[in-house]
Amino acid sequence: MGKKLWSFFTSMKFGLFLLGLIIVISLAGSLIPQNNEVMYYVREFPDTYNVILFLHLNNVFKSWYFLLLVFLLCLNLVFCTMRQAKTARNTEVLPEQFTPSVPLKEQEAQAIHDLLKKMGCTADQNGTLTRYTKQGIGIYGSFLLHFGILLTMVFWALGSAVPKIIDQTCMPGESIFLDDGTEIKVDEFSIEDETGRLDYASEIEIILSDGRTSGKKRVSVNHPAAMGDYKVYQQTYGTKGKVTVTDGDGHADSFYLTSQDFLSADGMNGIWFDDLYPGFEQKENGALTLITNTTGSYENPVYVFVLADHDRNEQMLAFPGDSVTIDDLTFTFNDPVEYPGLRIKKSPAVINLFLLISVILLTVGLYLIFFQRPVNVLVSEDGYTVIGRNEALSLELKHALSKGDNKNA
Amino acid sequence: MLDGLFFAGVVLYFFAMILQFIGVSFKREALQKYAWWLFLAGFAASTAYLIARGIVAGRVPMSNQFEFAAMFSWGIALMLIILKTRVKADWIVTAAIPMVFLVISYAAFQPRGIKELMPALRSVWFVFHIGTAAFAYASFLLAGASGIRYLYTEKQDKNNPILEDIDYMTYRLIALGLLLLTVTIVSGAIWAEQAWSSFWTWDPKEVWALITWLLYSIFLHLRLNRNWKGRRMAIFAIAAVPIVLFTFIGVNTLIPGLHSYGAVLPELL
Repeated sequence: MGKKLWSFFTSMKFGLFLLGLIIVISLAGSLIPQNNEVMYYVREFPDTYNVILFLHLNNVFKSWYFLLLVFLLCLNLVFCTMRQAKTARNTEVLPEQFTPSVPLKEQEAQAIHDLLKKMGCTADQNGTLTRYTKQGIGIYGSFLLHFGILLTMVFWALGSAVPKIIDQTCMPGESIFLDDGTEIKVDEFSIEDETGRLDYASEIEIILSDGRTSGKKRVSVNHPAAMGDYKVYQQTYGTKGKVTVTDGDGHADSFYLTSQDFLSADGMNGIWFDDLYPGFEQKENGALTLITNTTGSYENPVYVFVLADHDRNEQMLAFPGDSVTIDDLTFTFNDPVEYPGLRIKKSPAVINLFLLISVILLTVGLYLIFFQRPVNVLVSEDGYTVIGRNEALSLELKHALSKGDNKNA
Repeated sequence: MLDGLFFAGVVLYFFAMILQFIGVSFKREALQKYAWWLFLAGFAASTAYLIARGIVAGRVPMSNQFEFAAMFSWGIALMLIILKTRVKADWIVTAAIPMVFLVISYAAFQPRGIKELMPALRSVWFVFHIGTAAFAYASFLLAGASGIRYLYTEKQDKNNPILEDIDYMTYRLIALGLLLLTVTIVSGAIWAEQAWSSFWTWDPKEVWALITWLLYSIFLHLRLNRNWKGRRMAIFAIAAVPIVLFTFIGVNTLIPGLHSYGAVLPELL
């Protein structure tokens, strides 16, 4: 019983069964939106939300049963890989006693010899028996594929669990400081390139805790910057309003504005900043409609704020360059500043390297299985046998024989 | 002018398909020959269209549902020409031309405006990832065409020796598709890491590509180890076509995700 169970758990049949279950669960995971708030499921799936939540279908790819299936598949792959390695070695062994699986007439044997020679096979004569071989590496295809898949799953799991990811925005000219003392300095950020095409890019410098520096690096979408175990990605962007406040003595200070900021000298009179809008549209009657959304730089930015001037509270609009004065404070609205949102990933680079090697292995394995099937044919005067599985070769040999038949006919 | 070239391709494929059906139904070889010439003319028009569009757009035209569908149909047509001329698989033509027409007709209903490539798509992986996907899907669709031909031929004559060739071609096309889909998934994962820091995010498109990969893998296991050949192989190749089409069209249009067309995800640039 135990032996039977063990043999089932290590069999291809069980592996395929696991793959089938993974497909079914993945289907559910692709159709049900993942990782949303509980209330989302209550709202969107009023009749089935309790089933969804109970079965963890809202986060199915991290559910215990999905991870268990993947783990079992890994185990199954280990045994499969071992079996493939054994098979690969065994395939090289020539059978001691040759019994042809396809009998041949004398003329036909010649056609087979000719075809195999034409294919560039190496002939190895042993008495009346000739062994033709080619593409010996093909026998390792299955092993490489299964081993590659196994490694890919292991390193992918490591690559998902190990990295520490921080998403942070940073104004140009400022720095992000990480717990281990690493500094990410953002020098510049631009939303468009010199031709006006959207191209979010930051000019940054990574300074590690030991003082090593990356030098100036440009980070843009698809082009992260790497230094040590850190990789910095261009992730998001934003635009912030900026105001310069000048007092009666001519002292000036600049501030980035966040919604509901109140700038005042006495805590009573000043400006309540509401929001910054990307642009506006003017109707025929002169009324302005503010544009709330845009992609890229703000073309005609508009500041909206409430002026609190003693007894007067008035909502106002201002454009870059405009100023308002309350008592002896002058507020000058500047051009808005664009800033990047960076994703900082800390992960040993070696994991990615091994992952890359793993996927290369599995791809090469797949190629070898289907397109470099090893040729291993034993031919005698009585007939031939194709060792191992090579459908293309079997078909070609068959065609060579039928061609011979046609000629004779 | 550009649209004219595109629709010339659609119309030529349509007439090639009709002529081929008539030629096969009434066993008129001359008609089949004309059908093939029409098909080649359609392919030439499609090729010229894609080149011209690429020049106008200043990039490889594969960035939206229309461009990908146009490229996909071009890929099926190119593979069909290779199969007919190099592999001498004439038997696949009747079932394969409708596949080309089906996909290019889908493209015809998509918006054809040329838009600037969004920053996330400006990558060295763009052409590689999408190009291999187009040819992977093309292989699977041609395998479906081959499966249809197998069942049709088997119905006519169960002992027809060509059945073995058709069955083997179905297997080879699936194997090629699987290899190309593997490269698509791997290149997509590398690209995703470059763009968004993560190789795999369980985005619906990724999941469906994985489902397609697993399904074909299961079947190839059964073929190589359990000798699932002939009729079973043909039925599987045909039954899997809707899954491939859903992975190509359905996921992008019906399920929101990173591969959705028209969806604006500014947080991901």
